[in-house]
Amino acid sequence: MIEIRQLHKHYDTAQGRVQVLKGIDLEVQAGSITAVVGPSGAGKSTLSHCISLLEKPSSGQILVDGKDLSILSGKALRAERRAIGTIFQNSALLRRMTVAENVALPLRNLGVVHHEMEHRVAELLERVGLADRANSYPGELSGGQRQRVGIARALALRPRLLLSDEATSGLDPEATAQILELLASLRTDLGLAIILITHEMDVVRHIADRVAQLDGGRIAEYGELRALVANPESVTGSKLLPLHPDLVPAGYDFALTVAYRGTQIDPSWISKLGSEYGATVALLGGSVEAHQEGTLGRVEIGLSGIGEARAIEVLDGWGLHATAHSQALRTDKINGETRIEVTV
Amino acid sequence: MSLPTESVTVGTDTPWSELGSLMLPAYAETWAMVGIVMVLVIIFGGIMGLALFNTDRRGLFPHTQSHATLSWIVNMGRSLPFLVLMAAIIPFTKWITGTTIGIWAAVVPMTIAGIPFFARLVQNALNDLPMENLAVGLVTGGSPLQIIGSTQVREALPALASAITLNTISMVEYSAIAGTIGAGGIGYLAVTYGYQRFDMNVMIATILALIVTVQIVQFLGDRIARALARP
Repeated sequence: MIEIRQLHKHYDTAQGRVQVLKGIDLEVQAGSITAVVGPSGAGKSTLSHCISLLEKPSSGQILVDGKDLSILSGKALRAERRAIGTIFQNSALLRRMTVAENVALPLRNLGVVHHEMEHRVAELLERVGLADRANSYPGELSGGQRQRVGIARALALRPRLLLSDEATSGLDPEATAQILELLASLRTDLGLAIILITHEMDVVRHIADRVAQLDGGRIAEYGELRALVANPESVTGSKLLPLHPDLVPAGYDFALTVAYRGTQIDPSWISKLGSEYGATVALLGGSVEAHQEGTLGRVEIGLSGIGEARAIEVLDGWGLHATAHSQALRTDKINGETRIEVTV
Repeated sequence: MSLPTESVTVGTDTPWSELGSLMLPAYAETWAMVGIVMVLVIIFGGIMGLALFNTDRRGLFPHTQSHATLSWIVNMGRSLPFLVLMAAIIPFTKWITGTTIGIWAAVVPMTIAGIPFFARLVQNALNDLPMENLAVGLVTGGSPLQIIGSTQVREALPALASAITLNTISMVEYSAIAGTIGAGGIGYLAVTYGYQRFDMNVMIATILALIVTVQIVQFLGDRIARALARP
């Protein structure tokens, strides 16, 4: 298990002290994936550098199975950092080394004997599906293949934690999907704890178990992916499954944001609202998709022929969390039409 | 009126047939000088270039003051024209080699001029490597020496080969300048025969020799750099 406790990081510049991380707490269980998301400037890359032990935190701890690695330096650090494997953006392979040599780099640095090294490298390349490219150079591979070599390199010393720093940024959707599939299988097969630092919400939605939203050097929101998406008021949830709802047409009484909370939602709930409760439902926007366990969904509907409180109650009974968007949305009557604007 | 009979040996050209015996030893001397100098320059200039890069922000041991000091020393070494440097350090050269003429007397100023030049070339070659290389070296558990070996020197080899080519050509040029203080080599030949005795044939031969030499060095250097590059 990986625990990050009260991580602070500041830099002293000519303009004074800049606090980048202001007390980060994270816990990643073995066999689970935690995504760290946030706008640029939120401190994502600083957090990433602290976790990969490239930078020392100003205070706080990075505990891998109870051992604080953040205080180590020199030889002790080199010996212990093998617990953490890092995948970089753009794979960061050494260009004059073959694929096999790149994967062998951590083993060579550690002084592993030759035949053992060859065996391990072959095993790793097999694992990432590139056994036939061992003698190629990075320049001869596609972006997705390079990143798989980067993953093999990160796994060379059997780490407990895999840190992926924007590893799929810049890859095409197909390559991204392959990398995510590989990461998901590594989590399951090797029981790896994975921290995914990314700005790609699609990636997070597909693979993460938990999500931490970083903002201004603090964790603004942190929880199970499903819980965040199922909470219509969660800012992170609305970023994970963004809604761009249409205007509420004339003749409808109110609008609701509906989030899929349960795992077994009757997909015909909209028509049931009509047939069983006599409501007229306008579908204004939404996103419903398969997830590892059940369905993720957020839908915006306009309703008439049913009371607001009653509608919320009925939907709740079906595992759907509905809220009138009085908090997040503003309703104006313009030319007899209800106009809804997102004010978040 | 008669022309002056007093024979001033103006422009008695060495016959072409005798040029070989004159040129070849001189050419060998030039290469001896350049060879010795390049060995020293690659060792010490290389270390200095690595130190420049590794004390900078992207290096292993960033340290603003050390970097600024090193940089200042390197700039100082590069700010004097070679002729001036050579003349200025004659006492030092004599103290080291016990002489002020000949190959060894030329090696000292050439090495001193070559080291800072090569140091900057090495620094530039390393600066052109991807930013992430240092992080890769660190997260793969490399010691400082392993990081310098695998992620710096090895990755920069094609650029370093080009740097050595450039530096070698500069040193051929410097060896010719060193000819003016009697260093030997084809520079010395050009000065004593071509310049002081108006020997056109020697002048032409040395010019041709220098042109061909530089072309060959550049050609080989490019070949090696290309062979070291990877797709």
